[in-house]
Amino acid sequence: MRGFFRWSSKWWPGVIPLTVLWGLAAWTTTAPLEADLSEQTAVALKDSVLDKTAISAAGRDITFSADAFSEQERSNAVASVETVPGVRRVNDRTALVAEAKPFVWSIERGVGRVTLGGSAPLPVVRNKLLDAARARFAGIDIADRMDLKRGAPPRFEAAAMLLIGETSKLKSGKATISDLTVNLSGMARELGGREAIAAALKNLPEGYSVADDIQAPPYVFEANKDPVSGVLTLTGYVPDNAIHAAIVASAGRKFGEKIVDKLKASLGAPAGFDAVVTRALRSLSRLSTGRLVVSDRNVELSGDALYDLAGKQIRADLPKDLPRGWETKTDVSIKPSASPVDPTVCQQLFGELLEKRTIQFEAGQATLHLDSIGLLDQLTETALRCQTATVEIVGHTDSDGDASFNQALSERRAQAVVDFLVKAGLPANRFTPIGHGSAQPIAANDTDEGKAKNRRIDFIVRQ
Amino acid sequence: MVYLAGFHWVWLVISLLLGLAMGWIAVVHRGRGVSSLTARWLAAMLLALIVLAVMHVVPGRFGYWLDLGLVMLGVYLGGCAVGSWLRDGVVSRQAASGSTEHSNGTL
Repeated sequence: MRGFFRWSSKWWPGVIPLTVLWGLAAWTTTAPLEADLSEQTAVALKDSVLDKTAISAAGRDITFSADAFSEQERSNAVASVETVPGVRRVNDRTALVAEAKPFVWSIERGVGRVTLGGSAPLPVVRNKLLDAARARFAGIDIADRMDLKRGAPPRFEAAAMLLIGETSKLKSGKATISDLTVNLSGMARELGGREAIAAALKNLPEGYSVADDIQAPPYVFEANKDPVSGVLTLTGYVPDNAIHAAIVASAGRKFGEKIVDKLKASLGAPAGFDAVVTRALRSLSRLSTGRLVVSDRNVELSGDALYDLAGKQIRADLPKDLPRGWETKTDVSIKPSASPVDPTVCQQLFGELLEKRTIQFEAGQATLHLDSIGLLDQLTETALRCQTATVEIVGHTDSDGDASFNQALSERRAQAVVDFLVKAGLPANRFTPIGHGSAQPIAANDTDEGKAKNRRIDFIVRQ
Repeated sequence: MVYLAGFHWVWLVISLLLGLAMGWIAVVHRGRGVSSLTARWLAAMLLALIVLAVMHVVPGRFGYWLDLGLVMLGVYLGGCAVGSWLRDGVVSRQAASGSTEHSNGTL
């Protein structure tokens, strides 16, 4: 033992090269050691859900800063770093992610860009939302302005996913989740988009309330009457196939023109759309040339009425007949009077008008049917050109019912037409109402078609 | 410590060899050793450094360098001890065989 102490007192010279070695070792190993420990720490934290993770090594000491989404996650992460082999000391700079109150998340659809903003509860949710937005808005720039916060409402992810889907139906707009309140505003890309979005929002997770203010492109129906080509063109939208058929049928009764039907079915029509269109078509049928545009709740009618009183009636009656909330704009002028014609031409003109169509009455009554008002206006205009002729207005019925009733009915119907003409400004003494009942059929009364032909009013011009 | 040994084994082997060499030489070295007072001071200083290292008092890179230095020094001292013990064994055997030869000659 004594020898050992004697020898050890002579070990000191080796300390000098040892010190040099130490210096060299410190010089060459510090940076690789720090890199190795940083890497191993990162590996240890691979499965931890953290935000803003930063790891730096000084010697064997690790400075670890991160935002955790729960206290347990935070302490687990710190423990993971402490157990990394070689780590001497951990400078714990971790914190909990801030809590958002209220928790707000938004998606905004702009021109050529979609921006996701507000807060997301977890990085994985944030990535899922971004992926969903990229899938929905293919080819559009997605801007991520989301930060990570605690305090998301329950089933936030499902609600946000739904809103990403619905925002893709907007041309521009914004959807916001604020705690359990969802706000959606903007302009739908397509007609019916507003209704489709409103229906989809019913699938939001339980507990969420919705306030949506979605505008849709105007719901437009248009009818153009062109007397030169003899065509009535219908364009725009109707709510469904049944209303489509009803409107076309109604137009067929009101107009003598060929109907070109370019209507398409789409959701999004304002309430009472079909009734308004049917009523406005009646006014259009009284015009010589005209255009009807129904855009949302605005009705625009323009064109030329056939005579003065017709113009006044159209301008006055259409706004009155529309439901509340509908706006009317009429720009109806009076067609210049056509040149007078002699009685022969006059008869020819009446014949042309009544060849394809007949004046319709309410069933079993002498009340003029409103669908015939366009035809009556045309007959009135022709009568105005026949300034010298006297005209017999002759009523006929089919053979159904009592002969004396039919006789009286035909007389009253002829009188109703005369009254219409007189009211339009024609002198009463030029028109003679005559009724023939069912005595002068022009077709067999054994079919509905034949009966319909026999129920007629003839205009016979006398010199 | 295991991590340090694994990471720095080359430097530790060199320290060990240096210690073995120094220990080997020290047995037959005729120069003056450190006095016992100095040795005590050095031991106290070493103990203090060990305490600092164990308590993790020195931060960052300096702490790492301290650990590294102490580990290298420990291995060196271990090498010295083994080297001296081996050389002492060799010297003792040589001395024993020398005295046997001497006694044989006198016979």
